[in-house]
Amino acid sequence: MKRNITIALTILLAATGWVACKKTTPVDSNGLLITTRRECSVSSFELLGTDYVSVRVGAAVIDTIAQTVKVTVAFGTDLKNLYPQFSLTQDCLLDPGITGMTDFSNLANPRKWTVVSGDRQIRKAYSVVITVQPR
Amino acid sequence: MRHQTQYIGFTSLVAAAILLFATSCKKDGYALPTPSAKLQNQAIKRTLGPNIVGQPIEFAYAMAILKGKLTSCTAAASIAGAAGTYMENRSFYTAQNGADVGVTVGSPAVTKGTTTTVTYSVDTNAATLRYYYVIPEAARGKTVTITFTATSSDGESISTVMGPYTIAKMDMELNMKVSDGNMMYISIGDSTVYNATDAAAHAGSVDLVYLYRNLTTSAFNHALVAPAADPQYLPGVSLPAGVNRTAKLLKTFNLQDHNLAPTEQYGGIFIDDVDFQQIDLSNSPNFTINLKQGAGVWVETADGKYRAYIYFNAVTTTGTATISMKRYPLK
Repeated sequence: MKRNITIALTILLAATGWVACKKTTPVDSNGLLITTRRECSVSSFELLGTDYVSVRVGAAVIDTIAQTVKVTVAFGTDLKNLYPQFSLTQDCLLDPGITGMTDFSNLANPRKWTVVSGDRQIRKAYSVVITVQPR
Repeated sequence: MRHQTQYIGFTSLVAAAILLFATSCKKDGYALPTPSAKLQNQAIKRTLGPNIVGQPIEFAYAMAILKGKLTSCTAAASIAGAAGTYMENRSFYTAQNGADVGVTVGSPAVTKGTTTTVTYSVDTNAATLRYYYVIPEAARGKTVTITFTATSSDGESISTVMGPYTIAKMDMELNMKVSDGNMMYISIGDSTVYNATDAAAHAGSVDLVYLYRNLTTSAFNHALVAPAADPQYLPGVSLPAGVNRTAKLLKTFNLQDHNLAPTEQYGGIFIDDVDFQQIDLSNSPNFTINLKQGAGVWVETADGKYRAYIYFNAVTTTGTATISMKRYPLK
């Protein structure tokens, strides 16, 4: 009887110890998972007008070396009210996040966003360069 | 001892099961309701969306009595309805094919001031009459209540008050025809479209120019442009003398307001006063191009008097379009 109780207690302690020592999953201040991935780039880009229809003329050209996104938009696009959408490599995040319509009207000074890798150690600043299609 | 324990456990289980079934099968204390012998009534509002001046609000008013017969039905509005306000003298039921079938139960409605009355001409103890209240100009921006009253042959009467309903400040203009080179000058303040001659005569109230360009280099197509916009957005347009106002424009798509586009499949949306109050056009340009059927444009006039929503009901490739507009006065 005493032997059975000892075995049961040993198993219980081992199980408790195993659960207690399990690693917690790291998350950042936004509650997003921090992983071990070090890839850090933009994979695709979209630009929507106030009607939430794409204003792109042709595909966006993404240069991951120069860290630029070059987009030609249709003639007559309202450059002060555009909604950018980034697709990033896995586990990355964008800083600052997109919260709504964005002003792209200052064509001489392209807007910049920083892509942060999954392990949050690598940061790459991308410029979004807009060109307006001629009439 | 072991057998005894098993026996007690089994007995307990059976007892619990019996108790559970006995409890779950307990009858609710339900009794058939006894209809009231008194005059009864009920009203519903059948119309959806904002209440706009000139448009009807439709009600269905049901009344019934167990003994005796109905003698009259009255609808009294807090503000007299506009011309066209009336009450059906037919009671409707729904046939098997889903159609509404009317049966005449009273004399044609008589409207005096704020009150519309139907006097029953048949011996009936139950009917549902429809009331159409056409919203008058006097009610714009105010609230309206409708009091329905039914009377019976034994002198009994009963009433139901519907509302208060807020009447919108906005108005609307449907199916205006615009055409490039002719009827192309739009006035929000006047709620109309002018040609060049009339635009010159009303130069101070022209807010927008409609134009259509089929360019090979860019998608220009149908456009609404303020006269004061950069001339690159008004290619080939010679503005009439004095037409030089600006405006703020915001382009949308598939915002199919049910009042402006009642036949659209997904037009279950209503633009109301609050939408005009809350929309921010401060950062908007004075041009919108490449508009299609189903597109819409929010507009704020240069003098800040009006906000409007212009919807493109139909467009052609020959430079014409049918547009509808809701307009809200800011001042």
